[in-house]
Amino acid sequence: MQLIDKLSILADAAKYDASCASSAAPKRSSEGKSGIGSTNGMGICHSYTPDGRCVSLLKILLTNFCLYDCQYCINRRSSDVPRARFTPEEVVTLTLDFYRRNCVSGLFLSSGIIRSADYTMEQLVRVAKLLREEHEFRGYIHLKTIPEADPALIEEAGRYADRLSVNIELPTQLGLQTLAPEKEMGSIKQAMQTIYTGQQTVLNEPKAPRFTPAGQSTQMIVGADETDDSTLLHTAESLYGDFRLKRVYYSAFSPIPNSPKSVPLAAPPLLREHRLYQADFLLRSYGYNAKELLDGPGHLALDIDPKLAWALEHRDVFPLDLNRAEPGMIARIPGIGIRTTKRLVELRRQRRIRYEDLTRLRCVLAKARPFIITSDYHPRQADTSSIALREQLRDRPQPQQMALWA
Amino acid sequence: MIILDCDDLFDTWRQQARWLLSHQIDPDQVSWSVKEDADLFASDDHYPPHNGPFQARVPLELLELLQNAAQYCGDQRWSLLYEVLWRVSHGDRTAMLAGDKLGSEVHRRLKQVSREAHHLHAFLRFIALPPCNVGKDLEVKAALLETQKLPEYVAWHEPAHDILHSASQHFVGRMGKHRWMIATPKDGVFYDGERLIHKRQCPAAWQSLARNADDPHGELWLTYYSHIFNPARLNPKVMQGHLPTRFWKNLPEGPLIPALISEARTGKQRDGQARQIAERRGKVIRSGH
Repeated sequence: MQLIDKLSILADAAKYDASCASSAAPKRSSEGKSGIGSTNGMGICHSYTPDGRCVSLLKILLTNFCLYDCQYCINRRSSDVPRARFTPEEVVTLTLDFYRRNCVSGLFLSSGIIRSADYTMEQLVRVAKLLREEHEFRGYIHLKTIPEADPALIEEAGRYADRLSVNIELPTQLGLQTLAPEKEMGSIKQAMQTIYTGQQTVLNEPKAPRFTPAGQSTQMIVGADETDDSTLLHTAESLYGDFRLKRVYYSAFSPIPNSPKSVPLAAPPLLREHRLYQADFLLRSYGYNAKELLDGPGHLALDIDPKLAWALEHRDVFPLDLNRAEPGMIARIPGIGIRTTKRLVELRRQRRIRYEDLTRLRCVLAKARPFIITSDYHPRQADTSSIALREQLRDRPQPQQMALWA
Repeated sequence: MIILDCDDLFDTWRQQARWLLSHQIDPDQVSWSVKEDADLFASDDHYPPHNGPFQARVPLELLELLQNAAQYCGDQRWSLLYEVLWRVSHGDRTAMLAGDKLGSEVHRRLKQVSREAHHLHAFLRFIALPPCNVGKDLEVKAALLETQKLPEYVAWHEPAHDILHSASQHFVGRMGKHRWMIATPKDGVFYDGERLIHKRQCPAAWQSLARNADDPHGELWLTYYSHIFNPARLNPKVMQGHLPTRFWKNLPEGPLIPALISEARTGKQRDGQARQIAERRGKVIRSGH
């Protein structure tokens, strides 16, 4: 099979993994050196496909032959898809070619399970090793980790890769039993622990070789089974806490051809996925905890964002005086982000904040208005009930072209 | 009215601004323009060429901010900066802040500039030239390049702001010892493996080398691009927000976009797989391997 044929099959097979970040790597440069590649902590999105997702890394599978039969996965052994397998050298060639063209910032390599977990992991590590050692490649490398692989192999992977990820896919043991019978929550968490331990070992040891300097991440599928948002968010929170994950990705379940009956054949729940990312951002950057966003079972609201939902539930806190409030609380005002909060604090050191400043700072005033006080403004809506406010502020879906799913 | 021309050079503007400030010349009294226009306005003000008595003190961070904002190409490119400098040097530091009316325009420009630098890092595409000892043709071009060596990689890019010189430094770290060249309609850079050479006026030979480079191995990337797209998640609006259409014409994948969108709309949206894969024969793996 020609390289280009393999590429088409193994890129098509890899698109269901949401992660494509090339950020958080340490500063590396090839200036004046042999070899190629640099990283500087910032990710670069080299292109965007018409689904609105960025192309940052060459994201491919080493092979889509797979012994597992995960129901949600297009590459499960019972799936009738064309199969292909790259040699490690072919992956290296493609990575370097795309990298020199400035089409990608590195490689994100995953694989179906062939022969054994150890064998598969060895092959992934071999690609990273070839890139780093034979070709002195200093770009970004993200390797998928096979949970059942020998911890020694995972540790080796962590020395070559900027990022490792172990996909949890379904956050409950029951979900895994039903849809991914070969997978087990215990081994997934064990692999995360191996990576976490590796990171801790080199922490505060500047001379030690780097270990996954861009951290580890995972992915959960949204909408393949009945798992609710509360379970997803509480799982994410404990993963952030237990293993210091850098990111949890949420992947709206995309229908697959010849779909088994066990998973839905419906349009991917993109809005639900979007709300989960918003909530996840509140966990990571705004200091909310999962319990504040979803106390008890259930889903996030689809018609309002989770920050607005929290504010509507906590009207006693608002309106907040922007000239006095703690920065941490200003950031909890709907329509005002962390960056604007910082700018407001800078500005109020110089003078009083006025209403028109918020326009200039590009706050979403429609959302912020009922929750703020400035030196020249007090909200009329302060006494409006939360139900009425929600009715005013909720997102109304744009009228859409008739969907294929109608 | 004083009309100045700084030839779009920050250092020249800086000298002029320092001189204006030393004479306490109000921003209302000055404007920057290109030379041809300058004749249209007669200047009746006469100030001595040497610096005046007023000694302005400004924070170092302001200078950095002005230098970055100066890369922005647009109306009032230089006079806006003088207004900011004027206010800060007279004790009003809010002019540097995004919450201020003037400051917010400065910050908008800064954002545009850094976004444009990012666009260069992201959307520029290098094409490898064939090894350089093959043809007489290339030797001629090498001579035109005014360097001893021909670049190994060339790119054509059309930035909206004057970011090329500073932002192309990024590729020095990225490409190692390789030689590369970026040509634009305005300026150009060439890295010979050791030094980054910037030409304010991109030589025509550079431009033609970059615009006419053959790319016999371009298919792989196009294949990848088509197959990593998930038609079930079609969302062209978000794509256009991140990848403005003005870049499409210089991206090899640009011409593929309309067809991928329409194909997804007319049927392929049902699942994630590309049509070309769905049409091929599949292989179920029997258990027991």
